[in-house]
Amino acid sequence: MELARSAALSRRWEKAKRLWYKFSRNPLSILGLVTVLLIGFVAAFAPFISPYPKHAGGYVNFSEASKPPSLKHLLGTDVFGRDVLSRIFFGYRFSLMMGVVVLALVVPPGVTLGLLAGYLKGTWADTLIMRITDIFVAVPPLVLALAVCSVLTPSVFNAMMAVSLMWWPWYCRMVYGIASSLRNEFFVQAAEVTGASRWHILFREILPNCYAPIFTKMSLDMGWVILIGSALSFVGLGAQPPTPDLGTMLADGAKYMPDQWWIAVFPALAIMIVVLGFNLLGDGIRDMLEVEEV
Amino acid sequence: MKWSRVLLIVMLALGLALGLASLGTGEAKRALRVSFAPPLYTDPAVGSDFVASTTFANVYDSLVYPTPAGDVVPAVAERWTVSPDGLTWTFYLRQGIKFHDGKELTAEDVAFSLERLTTIGEGYAYLFQGITPQVVGPYTINMVLSKPFGPFLINLTRLYILNKDCVMANIKTPGPYGAFGDYGKAYLLTADCGSGPYKIKEVRAEEYALMERFEGYWAQTLPNVDELLKVKPKAADELKFYLTTEPVTIRTLMARQELEISDQWQSLEAFQALDAMEGVDVAGFLTGTSFYLMVHTRKAPTDDLHFRKALAWAFDYETVVKQIFPGSPQMIGPVAATLPGHKDVFQYHRDLAKAREELQQSKYFGQLDQYPVEYHWIAEVPDEEKVALLFLANMEEIGIKVKVVKVPWLSVVEEMASMEASPNIVSVFVAPHYPEAGSILKSRYHSESAKTWEQNEWLLDPELDAMIDDAIATIDREERFAKYGAIQERIMELCPSLFLFDHLERHAYQTYIDWPAAKGIVNPVMGYDFDARQIQILK
Amino acid sequence: MRLLIFLARRLGYSIFVLLGLSILVFLIARVMPGDPARMAMGPRAPEWVVERFRAEMHLDKPLYVQYYYWLRDALRGKFGLSIFTRRDVSRDIGEFFPATMELALFSGIIMGLFGIVLGVISARYANSWVDNSVRVLTYMGVVTPSFVFAILFLLLFGYVLNLLPTTGRLSPGIPPPPPRTGLVTVDSLLAGNFTAFLDALKHLLMPGVALALGGLSQEARITRASITENLQRDFIALERSQAIPERVIMSKYLLKLSLIPTVSILGLDFASLLGNAFLVEMIFNWPGMSRYGIHAMLTKDLNAIVAVIMIFGVIFIIVNIIVDLVVSWLDPRIRLGAERAK
Repeated sequence: MELARSAALSRRWEKAKRLWYKFSRNPLSILGLVTVLLIGFVAAFAPFISPYPKHAGGYVNFSEASKPPSLKHLLGTDVFGRDVLSRIFFGYRFSLMMGVVVLALVVPPGVTLGLLAGYLKGTWADTLIMRITDIFVAVPPLVLALAVCSVLTPSVFNAMMAVSLMWWPWYCRMVYGIASSLRNEFFVQAAEVTGASRWHILFREILPNCYAPIFTKMSLDMGWVILIGSALSFVGLGAQPPTPDLGTMLADGAKYMPDQWWIAVFPALAIMIVVLGFNLLGDGIRDMLEVEEV
Repeated sequence: MKWSRVLLIVMLALGLALGLASLGTGEAKRALRVSFAPPLYTDPAVGSDFVASTTFANVYDSLVYPTPAGDVVPAVAERWTVSPDGLTWTFYLRQGIKFHDGKELTAEDVAFSLERLTTIGEGYAYLFQGITPQVVGPYTINMVLSKPFGPFLINLTRLYILNKDCVMANIKTPGPYGAFGDYGKAYLLTADCGSGPYKIKEVRAEEYALMERFEGYWAQTLPNVDELLKVKPKAADELKFYLTTEPVTIRTLMARQELEISDQWQSLEAFQALDAMEGVDVAGFLTGTSFYLMVHTRKAPTDDLHFRKALAWAFDYETVVKQIFPGSPQMIGPVAATLPGHKDVFQYHRDLAKAREELQQSKYFGQLDQYPVEYHWIAEVPDEEKVALLFLANMEEIGIKVKVVKVPWLSVVEEMASMEASPNIVSVFVAPHYPEAGSILKSRYHSESAKTWEQNEWLLDPELDAMIDDAIATIDREERFAKYGAIQERIMELCPSLFLFDHLERHAYQTYIDWPAAKGIVNPVMGYDFDARQIQILK
Repeated sequence: MRLLIFLARRLGYSIFVLLGLSILVFLIARVMPGDPARMAMGPRAPEWVVERFRAEMHLDKPLYVQYYYWLRDALRGKFGLSIFTRRDVSRDIGEFFPATMELALFSGIIMGLFGIVLGVISARYANSWVDNSVRVLTYMGVVTPSFVFAILFLLLFGYVLNLLPTTGRLSPGIPPPPPRTGLVTVDSLLAGNFTAFLDALKHLLMPGVALALGGLSQEARITRASITENLQRDFIALERSQAIPERVIMSKYLLKLSLIPTVSILGLDFASLLGNAFLVEMIFNWPGMSRYGIHAMLTKDLNAIVAVIMIFGVIFIIVNIIVDLVVSWLDPRIRLGAERAK
C-alpha cells in the first residue's frame, strides 16, 4: 500500500520532471514563466513593494505633478503628481484579475457547449449552438465588446462581462473541432456500448483529450484578455479613474504627449510586457503538452 | 530572390514619395479658423451650444445685437417701444435688409422664425415660450409676452431670423410638423437661410464647417448702423470651424499657422505648450460661467446643513484657483463676479477647525463611515478629475468618505433629472443664458430647474422661487438688481453648493489676428466673441 | 458552376449570420439604459418635444415593431437617424466609410505583402541571424497591441523625429482632390495631383503600419513555419535530387503551397485589423467610420452603433469569401464549399 503510493508518487514526479524538461528546453518559455511570475508577484504585493502605495488611488499632489523620471520617481509622475511606477504595479492587479475572472467565466460554458455540440454533431443542438457562435464571430471581438460596454455603465465589472460575452464562442469552436473528430473514435464508442452516461462520455472520455489545447489557449488568452481590457479602458469604457488601470493610464497619458511622454509610454510598455509574458508561457505550455500527447 | 527585389522597390518608392511630399506647400486667402467641440447644429431652432451660437452670430441676424457691456444696440430692428404693462413690445424693422438669396427681410420672416423656433422646441426655444408674434405691417411686428420679463431685450439676441421663402422651398415632407414637413431641418443642417455677414458653404459632420463672406451684407451699406455690426476691413473672407478639440490636432494646426483661435477645451498643460509657441498667445477672459460643486440637499448625508457647511469649510479652494485652474478667481457667492447683478456676499476658505465644528453639529457625526458622499464628475472635462480627487483628499482629513465617479455628460444629464438618481455632489460648469444674475439664480436654484442638469441641489424652496420670479419680472434695472442681491444672501444661508471659481475661458490664438476679446473687450453673450466681422487678420 | 454553387451557398449562409447579428446588435443597442430621445433633444427641451422625437424614431413602439421598422429601412440602405449628427446614419457612413476603407486596404496590403516576404526570407535563411532577428521582431509584433504601436510611433516619428504628420488624412494647406472613389490617395492620382498623393500617403503611413504590424508578424511566422514544414516533404526532396535550382523550387512549387495557411489566416487577421482600427483611428484622429463608431458608442447613438457593426459584419463576410476563393486557387485539392476548419 505504502509502496504503491510512493511508486505512484515517483511516477508522477518522473512525469513532472519530464514535462519540465520539455518546457525548459526553450529559454523563451522560461523567460515567459519568469515574467508572468514576476508580474504576479508585483501584483500580489503591490501595497508593499510600491514606492508610493497611496498613489494608487485618488491621491493628489499638484506640486509634484508631471515630473519626468528621476530617482525619486523612477518612471516619473502623472498630472496629479502620482508615481507612475506605483500605479503600474497596482495596474497589474486589475489586469490579472480581469484575465482570471474572464477566463473563469468563459472557459466552463464555452467548453461544455463545444463538447456537447461536437458530440451531438448533426443534431439540432449542434446546429443551434454552432450557428449562435457564428453570429458572435461575425464581427471583430473588440468591436462587439466595445458595443456591449457602451450600453452599460463603464466599470471594470461590466468590461469583464462584455469581454466574456464575446469570448466563449472561441472556446466553443475549438473544443467542437476536437470533440466532433473524436466522437467516432474507438474509446468513445466503447463507452457508449457499456452504457456510460452522456456526461461521463463528455467529461471523462472526450474532455481529457482537449486539455492540451485548452490550457495552451488559456495561457495565450490571459494576454489577449488583458489587452482587450486595456483597449476598453483606453476608450473610456472600462475601468474608471482613479482606478490604476494600464489602459486608462495610457489613454490619459496620450493627452499629454509629447511633453510628458512618460505618462503614456511606461504603461504602454507594461501592457506589452504582460502580453509577451503570457504568450511565451503559452507557447512553452504548448510545446510541453503537444509532445506529451503524441 | 524575386520577393526581396519587390520589397526593395516598394521601400525605395515609399522613401522617394516621402522625400518629395515634404516639398509641397499650399497657399491660403484671408481665413479665420477656429476649433470647436462637435457636434455642430447650424439650425437656429436646434442648436444652442457654443459652436452653434457662434455660427448663428456669423450667419444670422437678430432684432438686436449684444454689446460687450451686456446691453443691446439696434440691428434688424431700428427702434422699439414697450407698453406700460411691459407685455407688448413693438419693433420697427429696418428697410432694405437682404437675405443671402437677395430677398428682402420683413416682419413676416421674423414671425415665421419665432413660430418655427417655438414649434420645434429645441435649441433656444426655451427662452421664447409664451411669446406671440403679431405682424402689424411689412416692417412692424409686435411681440406679446404672457408675463413681464425684465431682461427680454437681451434674450432677443437669440431669436435668429430665417428667410421664410428659403425654408419653405426646402422642406421635406412628410415630417413631424404636419404641413411644414420637417420644417427645413434636414436642409438647415448643412446650409443656411440667413442674412448675416457670412454664409455657409459646406458642413462636414465631425470634421469642419466652412463659411464665406456675404458680399451684400446690409450693415455695410444701410445708414445709421452701429459700428459693432459692420464688417471690419481686414475681417476674414473665409471662416472655417474645425470640429475637433483633439489636442494633437490643435497643436499641429496652431504650429503651422493653420488655426487662428483654439477651442477652450484644451488641458492646462496643452495651453502651456501652445503659449510657448512662437507667435501664439493664450487669451483668458471671464464670461460669467462658474464652476460649482452642486450638493444634493435632500439626500443623506448632504441633506444636513451642518454637514454641507463642513464640506464648504474643509475644501481647499486655494489649490484649485492656484494650481488646477490658475487665473480663475474664487467665487464670492452664487453668481459670477463679472455678471451684472452680482453681489459680494460671502466667501468660504479652508478652515479645518470650523469644518470639524460644523461636522460635530451634524446629525451624521459619529456614523460618517455609513454615509459616503457620492461625487460625480463629467468625463468630457478631464480637469474636473483633479478637483474631484482634491475634494476626496480634503474630506478624508475630516473623516468624510467620498466616492468619486467619472460619468459621461449625457448620463449626468439623465441622472440629474430625478431626485433619487442624483448623486450627493456633481461638479458642473454653468453659464448664464442671458448676461444677468437673474439667469443664474433662476436656472440654478428655482424649483422649475430642479430636474435639469443646472441644478443638483433640489432646493425646492417656494419662498426662494417667489423671490426669483418677482425679481425677474421687475422691469426697472436697479430695483431688479437690489432684489438679486437679497436672493444671493438667502442662498448663502442655505449653503446648497460649493462655489468654486469663475471660469477663465482660455483660447490660444495667433498674434497676427486683431481680436477684441483678447484685448479684454469680451461679449457676455455666448458666441459673440467669435463674430468674425470684428476679428481682423493682419497677416 | 462549382464556383456559382459555392457563392450561392455562402451567400445564403451569410444572410443568416447577418440577420442573427442584426438581432443581437439591435437588442444590445435598445436595451441600453436611459432615454435616447431625451438625450438627443437636450436637457432643456420640453417633454412634448421629446415625445415627438420618440415617435419619429419609433422608440415608443414595442421592441419587435422597432426591429421590423429597422429591418425594413435597413434593406433599403437606410439605418435611421443619428442622434448625434441629426442626419441619416447612412449619410454619415457614406462620408466616413471611404477613409476607413483606405486605411484598412493600405494596412491590409502592407500586412499581406510584407508578412509573406518576411516569412519567405526567414525560411530561406532559416536559423541564420536574419531568421533569428525576424523571428524575435515578429514575436514582438504579435504580442504588441496596435494602439501601443500607435502611441509609440506617434511619439517617435511624429514628435521626436518630426517626420510624419500625426493627425488626419491630408495636411490642412493641401486642397483635397475631387472625390471619385473617396480614397484620397487614389483620387489624387486620378486627378494627377502628385503633391496631394504623397501627402495622403504620409498620413496613411503611421496608422497603416501600426495597424498592420500585428497581422504582418503573424503572417510572417505562419509562412515561415509552413515553408519549413513543406521543405521536408518528399516531393521537394525529389525535385532537389533532380537538380532543379533552389529558387525555382522556392517560387514555383513551394511558395504557392506554403501560402495556404497564411492566406487562410489573413481573413482573421483582417478582422482584428478592423477591430483595432477603432483605437488607431481615434489616436490619429482619422476621420473614418471606426472613429465615428467609437463616438457613437460614447454618446449612445443607437442607430449609428447598429449600422457600424453591421457594416463590419458585411466586410468580414466578404473578406472571408475572398479568402476561401484564394485558398482554393492556391490548392486545387481543397474543394470549394467544403467546410473550412476553424
